[in-house]
Amino acid sequence: MATTTSRVPASPDSEEEELDMEIASMRAESKHPRHPTQNLNPTPKLTQTNNSNRPPHNNLPLVHAAGAHTTSNHHRIAFGATAFPFKDPSPTAPTTPLLGVRIDVCARNGRFAKPYYILLQSEQRAPSPSLGSAKVLKVYRHTVPGFISIAKLENVYLPQAGVSHDTGDGNTEGASSAEDEAQPAKPWKSSSRVRKQDLRGFVRELRRELVAWHMRVDAVEFLREKLGLVGEGGGSLPFDVSPDRDTGIASLEGVSLETRYVRVEWIDGRVGRFKLSNAGVVERAVVIGDEGRDKKIEDAMTGGDGRVETVLDRLRVDVLSGSPRP
Amino acid sequence: MARPKTVRAPTTASLPNNLLIPSSTPSLTKSLGKLSRQALLDLAFTWLDDRNIASYPPYLQADEADGPDDDEALPYPAGETIEEVRQVYEDLQDRKGAKREVLERILEGDWRHGITLRQLAMADLRYMDDHPASLRWTALELSRIDANRSTSKKLPPADWSGSVPRMQAATFVQGLQREISPLVKAHYHLAHSATLPLTFLRIFVVDSPYQSPRQAAEIFTDSSRVIYVAFPDSCPYVYTSIAASTGSKSAPLTSSVATDTRTLQRLVRDSIPKALSRPQERFTLQATSLAAKNLPTLLALRGPGRSTASNGAFSIFADAAIEGSPLDPRPSNTVPPEEHIQASHSNPAEGKENTNGSATKRRSSGIDTDPLSPDSKKRRLAIHSRFGTLGQSLAPAPLDRLDIRLLDKLESSEESNDDVDHSTSTLPAVSLTFSGSDVIGGIRKLAELGIVDPERMPSWMTGEEGVSVTTVRRGQRLQRDI
Repeated sequence: MATTTSRVPASPDSEEEELDMEIASMRAESKHPRHPTQNLNPTPKLTQTNNSNRPPHNNLPLVHAAGAHTTSNHHRIAFGATAFPFKDPSPTAPTTPLLGVRIDVCARNGRFAKPYYILLQSEQRAPSPSLGSAKVLKVYRHTVPGFISIAKLENVYLPQAGVSHDTGDGNTEGASSAEDEAQPAKPWKSSSRVRKQDLRGFVRELRRELVAWHMRVDAVEFLREKLGLVGEGGGSLPFDVSPDRDTGIASLEGVSLETRYVRVEWIDGRVGRFKLSNAGVVERAVVIGDEGRDKKIEDAMTGGDGRVETVLDRLRVDVLSGSPRP
Repeated sequence: MARPKTVRAPTTASLPNNLLIPSSTPSLTKSLGKLSRQALLDLAFTWLDDRNIASYPPYLQADEADGPDDDEALPYPAGETIEEVRQVYEDLQDRKGAKREVLERILEGDWRHGITLRQLAMADLRYMDDHPASLRWTALELSRIDANRSTSKKLPPADWSGSVPRMQAATFVQGLQREISPLVKAHYHLAHSATLPLTFLRIFVVDSPYQSPRQAAEIFTDSSRVIYVAFPDSCPYVYTSIAASTGSKSAPLTSSVATDTRTLQRLVRDSIPKALSRPQERFTLQATSLAAKNLPTLLALRGPGRSTASNGAFSIFADAAIEGSPLDPRPSNTVPPEEHIQASHSNPAEGKENTNGSATKRRSSGIDTDPLSPDSKKRRLAIHSRFGTLGQSLAPAPLDRLDIRLLDKLESSEESNDDVDHSTSTLPAVSLTFSGSDVIGGIRKLAELGIVDPERMPSWMTGEEGVSVTTVRRGQRLQRDI
């Protein structure tokens, strides 16, 4: 009994971690001589809350690095959003490092998409009577796709108190709407009605939007696979594929990059389009055939539980003709 | 030439798609002659396709019967059926030959009665696909005007993607037509690019109110009368081929009669945001200080992808070049950045970008593995940190011109930075203009050669701002250009 407790470390977690570390360090050692470290210079140091009690006797730098890497990977997988400091190499940049936020999104095939980054600039503001704290965050650079409006998000979650819109390009819209919002309020109230900056909310909403986009893309891909429109290599087949027999759908694809709308074509010339919500529900559908709108199919698309994954089952010809909806 | 029997009355309709330009027009030969042989063949196949055959009918023997037979001397006999005409082009496809042969076959053979405006538009767009750097493009941002928004004190609904106007092609062209038809007569052609995630709108403007203008046929191929507008997918930007930088300004040009092509272009451009607008949702176009010759550049710097708001030193983030997927057990500094960049092809945004073949244009600038002195090694590291993945990136963005205006006082050394009152005094503004095939790449080369100090140069030299025109004070870009 006493022997077993002496061998087993304090918690199972640390044992697991130790194993992970051993594996990772071996991998790192085996990889290291093959790949010269030609990485880019400003490697952001990942300083996640490193509460793992690393074994003190292990002072090999490689093992150390591998362990830190594993921990940060765990954080990235579990939380999806991690923070790191980044120093802008420009000589004219302010000396305070930028706050980087990394967002990881897991796609349908179990892989992770390229991480999204937001780099925030923290500005020291003169303490005003209305705003107690003097630190204000501002989005400086980001890699979020263009159809998600960072300016809008920033305007809601990271409001700039009493700042004229000097952030240029995308932000004039956000700033003007902030002014509009302040106007209907009572003037004596508007100065004290400055919302606090909410970085958590900002990241949460942004991540939700990114995940929703990936889900929409994945859902369309799933439907295409179900219809047999996707070739072996993942690429789309040429146009003249045999249409799906059950539904008579000849093509189905997302409209533009955003995949908010999906375009469907039937073999008999009907054309339809439906809108996907962030939750994966078919919100609206329009189907137009030779003799006008096809309400039956539209109802079938949005009916039932409305899920996009089951939309093909609802569109099957035998279902549609067999039991017409009341 | 016989006078047309129809009554010519001024209308507000657009120029019809099937307006014929006589095939004998010399400039038509020239503008179609810009295309390669393969492009001409592809166009001919498109025109002869079953879906298009009604719009662009070729000259057949049946036509010969009705028409006056004054074209005995023409070298190409008219085909009997569509199939026969198709076969001719199949044969041309199979054998090698000069471009001239196909061009003559089209103009003097199968479309000897004329090329329609739409066919010309298709040819022009095909040329654009083949030569994305053939025109100079200006990027503009579409932004919403929230004039009188309702008093919504609550947080707006969770729709963070509303800034891209939903465009329905036919509705948009109708709206545009409604806006500009009282002023100019135009022909519209809308098509999605075959190679880039863009929708092109080609507008040809004439200043005649008549349905079939009396001008010489040369006017139809006058490239200064053609305006291109490109709508990139899923992002609030618009690219135009119009050079003028200030569009929405109401310049006192009303006195001059709208005859010169620049005025016509301005009219068209001013009406684009109005045509995109809807009730309760109005848009305006704003300059984004970026103009470049290359469409992929515009897509990289003002497009839907990741690199729109992170360039220069930050391009490592846009390409995700420093860290891998969280499932990768290898520490990130043991993996070469190229592997990270190429890693996730599953990303839907990247999948489209890769199709434009830009990955093949990657330059391996400055990464050679020969042993270096510590000094040059240090410089190389500094260059990497300043320029990021420029040159290795998946979406290269060569700028062909960079205009910089420096507003620093001559005597203000770096110590006297506290003095802020620069605005009113007369400033000796220094203007720099760089031009070449790839300006930022050139500056990087200079840094590699040790001519530019990579650690002390300001960030606009690294292309970090993603602009082509800017005003700089103390190394920082001034947002409102003075």
